[in-house]
Amino acid sequence: MGRRQRIVRVALVVLALAGFLISFYLTLTHYRHGVPPCYVTSGCESVVTSRYATILGIPLSLIGTVFFVVMFYLGIALLTGSPKKVMQAYELLAFAGILAAVVLFLLQAVVLKAYCTYCLGTEVIALLIWAGSLVVASSGDGGVVAEAGPEPQR
Amino acid sequence: MPRLGRSLLTWQAALWACGSLLLILGALAIVFFTGAPSTAAATLPEVTATDVTYGPDGAGVVVMEYADFQCEACARFSPMLAALRAKYGDQVQFVFRFFPLENHPYGMLSAQVAYAAHLQGKFWEMHDLLYKRQKEWASAADASPYFEAYAKSLGLDMSRFREDVNAQTTKDFITAQEAAGTEAGVNHTPWFAVNGTTLVPNDIGDFEALIDAGL
Repeated sequence: MGRRQRIVRVALVVLALAGFLISFYLTLTHYRHGVPPCYVTSGCESVVTSRYATILGIPLSLIGTVFFVVMFYLGIALLTGSPKKVMQAYELLAFAGILAAVVLFLLQAVVLKAYCTYCLGTEVIALLIWAGSLVVASSGDGGVVAEAGPEPQR
Repeated sequence: MPRLGRSLLTWQAALWACGSLLLILGALAIVFFTGAPSTAAATLPEVTATDVTYGPDGAGVVVMEYADFQCEACARFSPMLAALRAKYGDQVQFVFRFFPLENHPYGMLSAQVAYAAHLQGKFWEMHDLLYKRQKEWASAADASPYFEAYAKSLGLDMSRFREDVNAQTTKDFITAQEAAGTEAGVNHTPWFAVNGTTLVPNDIGDFEALIDAGL
């Protein structure tokens, strides 16, 4: 694995961790308070209390939390050597993530006309993860690395 | 090769372990740092005769709230504050300050409605009603008919109510409170302070602890 590839894959793990923390915070807020405070510069409460914030009673933030945990571990798998199936799963989920992010952004911009800073943060992270997955996939070997890890000691 | 294999295995295991540890520590940090109520000293505008209050003047404990009637979080705390007013209303002074947020379409109008009710001595009744029925008027294309219905149900003089809602003095009063709050550092609602100490509460017990300590 080249230096550039390694940096991108480390960045993907870090991004997934950041996405997890934000989503986990929103999930915790949902189950603990129900509503975050209303800030002067943000409509976070309008977004997270809207009818689009849950699917069948499950908060989207919880789905996001699970998504970022999966991306985190898949990202580690990419770092430690990436079987083809891991790479394919990563690409597929990253694409699903960006699709969901675009839909959620449009809901905020067009329907709710309010933005949640935390939600925007996770959407940007989903975008970066998708972009990163394209970089990994375009590495010439389709992102698949037979072996990874520290250089063998002589 | 076996040595290299073992080295790789150890390196990969360490990475997985460190990753899992990071996730767990991050989650625990969020649980820990967002779980406890936070307090801080604040310098707020003094309570004056024009303030909307409940409870005795000169009380040893003053609970101040900056709030917006269209704020969902404020609505969540409203029943708690009603319970506190019932429990401590004869010993504690509760001060309500208007802080309508620009991102709430009816934030200003609902504040005007509450202030107009205040001018007829029915602020707290309107306050409770606006929060209780928040979902119906906040999502309406036009909230005015709902506000009129609430005013009627409280037995307000309707012509005076309409006049007060639209009066420039009403708007000026609300805007002045909002500006003073902003200057004091208020940047979200509900924003609470108990005897000059700001409080980000989780539940009614957080208020009671500070109030009991001050009595």
